[in-house]
Amino acid sequence: MSSQHNDNEANESNLNQLIHDARGPLNRISMQAEMIKLVLESGMPIDKAVDAANKIITSCQECSQTLEQLSKTSKS
Amino acid sequence: MLNETARGSKVLKILLVDDDVEFTEVACHIIEFLGHDICTANSLKEAYEWLENNTFDHIFLDFMLPDGSGLHLIDYLKKSQHDPYITLITGHPLVKGLLAGLCGPKVNYIAKPLQREDLEKALSRESTPSQPKKSNSNLSNKHFGCLIGESEAMQEMYKMISRIALTKANVMLLGESGVGKELVAQAIHAASNTKTPLVATNCGALAKDLIASELFGHEKGAFTGAISKKDGVFLRAGNGTLFLDEITEMPIDMQPNLLRVLETNRVTPLGGTKEIEVNCRVISASNRSIEEIAQSKVLREDIYFRLAVFPINIPPLRKRKDDIPLLAAAFLNELNEEYHRHYQWSAEQIQRLTDYDWPGNIREMRHAIHRAFIMADPEGTTLELPKDFRSPFSSISEKQHSLSAGRTIEDVERELIKVTLEDVDGNKSHAAKMLGISIKTLYNRLHAYGDFEE
Repeated sequence: MSSQHNDNEANESNLNQLIHDARGPLNRISMQAEMIKLVLESGMPIDKAVDAANKIITSCQECSQTLEQLSKTSKS
Repeated sequence: MLNETARGSKVLKILLVDDDVEFTEVACHIIEFLGHDICTANSLKEAYEWLENNTFDHIFLDFMLPDGSGLHLIDYLKKSQHDPYITLITGHPLVKGLLAGLCGPKVNYIAKPLQREDLEKALSRESTPSQPKKSNSNLSNKHFGCLIGESEAMQEMYKMISRIALTKANVMLLGESGVGKELVAQAIHAASNTKTPLVATNCGALAKDLIASELFGHEKGAFTGAISKKDGVFLRAGNGTLFLDEITEMPIDMQPNLLRVLETNRVTPLGGTKEIEVNCRVISASNRSIEEIAQSKVLREDIYFRLAVFPINIPPLRKRKDDIPLLAAAFLNELNEEYHRHYQWSAEQIQRLTDYDWPGNIREMRHAIHRAFIMADPEGTTLELPKDFRSPFSSISEKQHSLSAGRTIEDVERELIKVTLEDVDGNKSHAAKMLGISIKTLYNRLHAYGDFEE
């Protein structure tokens, strides 16, 4: 009973860590999107927007990997 | 140095502490765009280093850092003299509940993923409450939302501002200290209908080593202390307006770099290799006259012509005395609203304000009104104007202008001897030395003027 309880706690902790890890790239995506809005609104050089868009793509891939791990953890 | 952002809120000094380098870089751009100064730290250690020699108005603090928790920094701040607002940033679901318990008047938290609005909301706590609400009646009297006055000189200026707004021409604002050059820059910016906020910097307030970085930006590692990439004001101004105050105080050897940007519309950040296109209007300002600028050679001729495509001379207050009652009413109205009072001007007080020449211009009059407001009886409805408006600065200024045509050489000589003696506490040998005459000659002059006293 106690061992099962410990396993559940470890799983929950692992799950929370993965959710935290997913929020990192999500946060970068959100802020880079704000950056693109700012470039378009203020007429800053367009390469800043392209740079931000590339970073969004990288963060999306990172987020996808974290979600895969999350899926495996929830099945285990 | 300007201390308000283009939106009229206070410019804040911010420290962002987060180990996510990409996040700190992009947040840096956004917060700078909002008009605030920001430093970044990627660990507690770096944050402590910043706090050793700096004070901050607001700290954005990641909860989990590689070398400890954000709570350690809060403890450190509690023990030190610093008392900034703190916004904890978290992405951990378990931490939210814990942070809610820590929150108070100067501590709150925001959860990732963040948006620009989250940052603005967090910063608005200390940048806006002190701002008095402006009544519609106050705004309606203002031209372009910020200029007050209906005199002929001001009407002429409003016309110029409207015409300039249709172009991208660079403007140079000339006028005595305190005439409101920054407000005229804001008016041109407002009339130009650009979405980007006005970006302003004071060329006279920047250390020589930092001018290039402030104007053109720098790459990470470009010099010692460049711990992150920074955009210069030219880039931050985007398609909008860049206001360079006290342009004639910029060191002459820095001016060729500025000239190159003005000629090519391209900047290269310090440590960078790529030129970046810039497209802003530059409004510069100086409290020197055109003649003085030309004679003293404080500004290169080629830069002057690039900056002063359209020069505007802002009249001193003594040349538009018709506006004094309007300005006085507006300033009193603002103070009444801020402190919930109902003071009014009497006709005699307005006359006194109008009769004075205000050598320090609108700034001096505004401060005099503020002083009168402070001195007024809290139970009464009238202000208490000082008996004499003259400040030490205005009397110096009057003394400096006492040399005028029509006075005799003897008169001027006598005044010079008097001023010199006052300056050396009556010590005649010192005075003679300063005047470049023998002590005997000084005594002879004093005898001749009848001013000699043993």
